[in-house]
Amino acid sequence: MPSPLQPSGQPERLPLCQLPAGASGRVYELSGEGAFRERIRELGLGESTVVTKVSGQSPVICRINGTRIALSHAAASQILVERFGSGA
Amino acid sequence: MSASAAVSSVGSPSAARAPVYALVGNPNCGKSTLFNALTGLKQKVGNYPGVTVEKKVGTAYSQHGQPMPVIDLPGAYSLAARSPDEAVTRDVLLGRRLDTAAPDRILCIVDASNLERNLYLVHQILDLGRPVILVLNMMDLAAKAGVRIKVERLEKELGIPVIPCEASQGKGLIELKLAMSRPDLPLPRHRWDIPSPIAPAVSELQASLLEYDRKAPLSARAEALLLLTDQDSVRVAGSTPLTARTTDILQSWKVRWEGQGVDWAATLVASRYDAIARLCADVLERVSPEEEGPSLSDRIDGVVTHPLWGWLVLGGLMGALFLSIFTLAEYPMTWIDDHVAQLTDAVKAAMAPGDLRDLITDGAIAGVGGVVIFLPQILILFFFIGLLESTGYMARAAFIMDRLMSRVGLNGKSFIPLLSSYACAIPGIMATRTIEDAKDRLVTILVAPLMSCSARLPVYLLMIAALVPGETIPVGTKVGLMLLMYALGTSAAFGFAWLFKRTLLKGEPPLMIMELPPYRLPRVRDVLLQMVERGGLFLRRAGTIILGISIVLWFLSAYPKAPEGATAQAQMAHSFAGQAGHLIEPAIRPLGFDWQIGIGLIASFAAREVFVSTMGVVFNAQSDADDTAPLRQALAAARWPDGAPLFTPLVCLTLMIFYVFAMQCVSTIAVVRRETNSWRWPLFQIAYMTGTAWVVCFAVASIGRLLGY
Repeated sequence: MPSPLQPSGQPERLPLCQLPAGASGRVYELSGEGAFRERIRELGLGESTVVTKVSGQSPVICRINGTRIALSHAAASQILVERFGSGA
Repeated sequence: MSASAAVSSVGSPSAARAPVYALVGNPNCGKSTLFNALTGLKQKVGNYPGVTVEKKVGTAYSQHGQPMPVIDLPGAYSLAARSPDEAVTRDVLLGRRLDTAAPDRILCIVDASNLERNLYLVHQILDLGRPVILVLNMMDLAAKAGVRIKVERLEKELGIPVIPCEASQGKGLIELKLAMSRPDLPLPRHRWDIPSPIAPAVSELQASLLEYDRKAPLSARAEALLLLTDQDSVRVAGSTPLTARTTDILQSWKVRWEGQGVDWAATLVASRYDAIARLCADVLERVSPEEEGPSLSDRIDGVVTHPLWGWLVLGGLMGALFLSIFTLAEYPMTWIDDHVAQLTDAVKAAMAPGDLRDLITDGAIAGVGGVVIFLPQILILFFFIGLLESTGYMARAAFIMDRLMSRVGLNGKSFIPLLSSYACAIPGIMATRTIEDAKDRLVTILVAPLMSCSARLPVYLLMIAALVPGETIPVGTKVGLMLLMYALGTSAAFGFAWLFKRTLLKGEPPLMIMELPPYRLPRVRDVLLQMVERGGLFLRRAGTIILGISIVLWFLSAYPKAPEGATAQAQMAHSFAGQAGHLIEPAIRPLGFDWQIGIGLIASFAAREVFVSTMGVVFNAQSDADDTAPLRQALAAARWPDGAPLFTPLVCLTLMIFYVFAMQCVSTIAVVRRETNSWRWPLFQIAYMTGTAWVVCFAVASIGRLLGY
């Protein structure tokens, strides 16, 4: 479902907290403090990781490569993902 | 000998000493289960000096009965430490701690069903220049998930022994012990190219670390790599700071990279993950397609993290916990109480009357007995917490509580410490070591003693008994007042946390991120082991301090001696304690307390429950926590010099409120002093808690008097 705000052909980018349950995406960008970004990367949620949202608003539960990771809403809003199946 | 020396000089121990193993792994990968399975009951639990992180050392035996010491290190995701317990793991592995020699070999355990993520820590550990044995735990789960791991391939790629096992079933332990007792373990063959923009910096730092910081040749590279990702915000006792030379090199590289727009930390982490991804592509084989749809864990999570059901489940579990703490614990507590009384009687019968006998019975036995009596509650609490942790529920509970905690500026990780504090603030404060943010940790430590602990119970019970006229106390009144006290303490804890986070310890609410382990059936043996361990630590920690304080207090109330033939009451008034009571009377008079209550307040500074026994001595009545009737009558008969009753309902209520807030526990102060490494915070804690107690009590007493009570 292409977003009207995005030119078609561009994948939709949205914070992880807004990714609908069941949808998957690829991590595009991390923001927030250095220590937070590093911990996220070490947990395997670094840039270009494929992530599937399992459920929830707070906590946000998602799956990365078989591991279930929970993030508070604030933490999930710092992770920008490119949604699969959007755009092109 | 010569053959093994050729393979590795570090890994082969001299004939005189068995190699020391360190056991490391991610949280939730079955590390404790493996440690328990390897070492059985031969474990020594202590603390790393300077931080209250448990130091567990056990002994495993080879097939030939040769002992092999194993150090269990706190679970970590990375050597770049974020919390005090991860810092211990890093520092022990790097040989930075003066109190623990660097281990000879490393036993690295991973969750085979989650290999890629777990290999990150392994990847860092392979850099350390020590022989490593990789344990692939939970092979059954990996097989169930349809993944086959080519063990031989992995062995070949890493150049180290790889042992598949199922620690909870005892499978693979023999193979592991055989590998552990090999005299020659190869050093890891680790093919990993440091990304090119960073490589020159690593060599330069490595050289400087070798030359100026006197790091071991084999670990200097690992130290250099760590410098680039570790913010070193969690420095602990025992680790030495860097030399100026190395710091300069690090700084100048960072400046250069910033200019070029290189995110060095991200590059390093990403390149490790790239290497791991290549390795996994080689050694992992999917034998059955990935299961579609939500797993059982997902379905359970759908309920327990649900906005409504989640709270109900958590509320139900907490209700069950409190119910069992306060009802189930009663039987063993009565049993302990009876036996302490029997012991006292036995000593009294066996010894001639005199000061030494009184010191033993009234000082040592009464004091230590007063602590031991709370052991059942502590054990039940830890059994529950251990059970919930081993099923995987605790991580979910922390997240549900995060919604509430974030309103006062804390995060969900403060939940377990605060919950534990309902039983006793000491284990609660010890549990704060998993909190990553230093300020959050401090705020949690500061407010934890406001949660009504079980030592306050006897005081509440006595005061409720004295407050309500008539022979029996209506259950509704008892429960209502009790709940009021708990609610008061809990809201004060949250209120002060909110205040501290906005004033003294300002900081962004930390972002919460946690791995949710899959739900598992609890391993009762591990839960029981942990419970016994915690109970033992509690006894030792609190017991030694309380014993000392009890003896001092006994002395203060027994000396100086009143003239011959004086009653116990007169002796108390004459003693140092009595004099101290008179001394503080002006300060507590506005609250409606006299010098006799003052003695109780001073004595119970050691531990709150001492108040009850002190009142027993002061008002000359034999009593204990279970049977408050005689003491209650004695309290009802107590009068001010002008004949007005001392223990009016208002005074009883005020006293209860005083105990809700006041910092009356020497053991807690000692633990806070240790945890924060300074006297500043425990002193601040005494000041703010007891100050609040005075102000609130003064307000209650004044309003009560205005209303004519």
